[in-house]
Amino acid sequence: MTLVAANLTVRYQTRTAVHATSVALAPGELVALVGPNGAGKSSLLKALAGLTPHGGDVTCQGSPLTALGSRARARAVAYLPQDPPVHWPLLARDLVALGRLPHRGYGAAPSAADRAIVQAAMQETDTLEFAARSVDRLSVGERARVLLARALAVQAPVLLVDEPIAMLDPYHQLHVMSRLAAYAGGGAATVSRVVVVVLHDLGMAARFCGRVLVMRDGAVVADGAPDAALGDASIRAHYRVEPLIGQHDGEPLIVPWRPLRNENAQQG
Amino acid sequence: MSASGDDARPRRAVLVGGLSVLALLAAGLSILVGRDGGGPTLGFGGPELAEVILAEIRVPRTLLALLVGGTLGLTGAALQGLLRNPLAEPGLLGASSGAALGAVIVFYFGLATATSLLLPLGAVTGSLVALAVLYALAGRRGNVLTIVLAGIAINALAAALTSLALNFAPSPYAALEILFWMLGSLADRSLAHVYLALPLMVPGWVLVLAAARGLDALTLGEETALSLGFDPRRTQWLVIGGTALAVGGAVAVTGVVGFVGLVVPHLLRRAAGPHPSRLLLPSFLGGALLATLADLGVRLMPPGPELKLGVVTALVGAPFFLHLVMRPRAELPA
Repeated sequence: MTLVAANLTVRYQTRTAVHATSVALAPGELVALVGPNGAGKSSLLKALAGLTPHGGDVTCQGSPLTALGSRARARAVAYLPQDPPVHWPLLARDLVALGRLPHRGYGAAPSAADRAIVQAAMQETDTLEFAARSVDRLSVGERARVLLARALAVQAPVLLVDEPIAMLDPYHQLHVMSRLAAYAGGGAATVSRVVVVVLHDLGMAARFCGRVLVMRDGAVVADGAPDAALGDASIRAHYRVEPLIGQHDGEPLIVPWRPLRNENAQQG
Repeated sequence: MSASGDDARPRRAVLVGGLSVLALLAAGLSILVGRDGGGPTLGFGGPELAEVILAEIRVPRTLLALLVGGTLGLTGAALQGLLRNPLAEPGLLGASSGAALGAVIVFYFGLATATSLLLPLGAVTGSLVALAVLYALAGRRGNVLTIVLAGIAINALAAALTSLALNFAPSPYAALEILFWMLGSLADRSLAHVYLALPLMVPGWVLVLAAARGLDALTLGEETALSLGFDPRRTQWLVIGGTALAVGGAVAVTGVVGFVGLVVPHLLRRAAGPHPSRLLLPSFLGGALLATLADLGVRLMPPGPELKLGVVTALVGAPFFLHLVMRPRAELPA
């Protein structure tokens, strides 16, 4: 399934968060969406998920997202907002099972297949050990992984996640990134999906993602393989930092080193 | 690991079954116990009277206790789920006070006595008008905060107009009659009241129950609910419309019976689990049980003027509410 956005524009009252952005997302490749604060990453992600009013079109496998019923759209596109609220103290596994709601009929209990999918999603996010714990007794990072498992449990062909690793320890950052790459599939994998992940960690983006979209001021300003989109010039121009770029075991390594001095940035 | 379906289902069946049995037992007792000038009485006072007492007094009273209590419990649980706040209850939306105002207007123009059927019609109109005003104030896309604020405004306006009517009541007796009716009671109701309330309550229940999965989805916030295919606006209007209909019907025949919708979902949340949808049916049954027991209690009081049901639920409910508010914030869900 391919997700294509044409001329996507998202406006809030006085501000345009995303300007006429077009992007085509193919399955089988983990795509990073990066950019400085306020660049419009989350707005673009929400518009791609069909969750915010926007100009332009989003089509999923050729048919407009708005033409799908809300349940069909929910089965096609899974979305994880940044730091969503959890209003009731559900057990972790019950929270993950909410991801199966779009697939379940009224009053139906989770089927054996639903339960297997919930279990697999919790395995992927390393959350099985606290499956029976109430989410209000989890740490912020543990809760973030449970919420990610909820999004994985939808098993949608399109997965859009907003900063899933910001709260995680290094082990789980690496773990989650590799699982997301595997979830996107591609290569020899039997299932391949469209997976877009909003990130601030440029090193993670360069290592795990096949394609990087850099956003700034509501527009995609760089799009391509990590070595091009996250090259020295790109990072200096869009992030206003001086990066250290290197390699380890043949994989890219990016460390933001120091902010560029103001004389290099345009003065207002 | 066993997923929640395995261990939660039997527990839920026990809860629902247990509450059903208890509610039926309470209803049976309620049919057996009466009251006359000398205090509580047991049985029916002779075979020739039994049929009349059953059909015209005890059965309607018991049925209304079950229906009104169930309505308040169900809508309370749904509103707490919708607003994601354990302090929500049906009175919050202005449906109850709107209904009370409608009834008071009927009284005021001398159109009805406390048991006539014109009174419920006025009340139903009042609650529907309150809902229409709520809708106009909060709008199609109104969020939860706007709705709560609109509800407060409607409550204030309805209370002000009710006071105005009392102020200019044609006679002290009329004012007293209005006041007594507003206290909320199940005494002296007939099957006609049941028939009047049911056509409002049943569609109200259906609307509220239709929102069940949407309420679960709302646990993760409006954005996630929408992404799961459950538009929060739709869930919101199902719950609010259903509540206005069902509570309007209830207030129309009994006056204002407060706190049942607040207390019942609270008491059952631990047993039913935190899913808003799993709390709906138990809260209906628990509300029916509580209202029936409270009304039974009213009849078991020593001789003297009969205590009004609404007074009893308020006396029990208000300290409970206070207790909830005083609890450390940490115990309330975010």
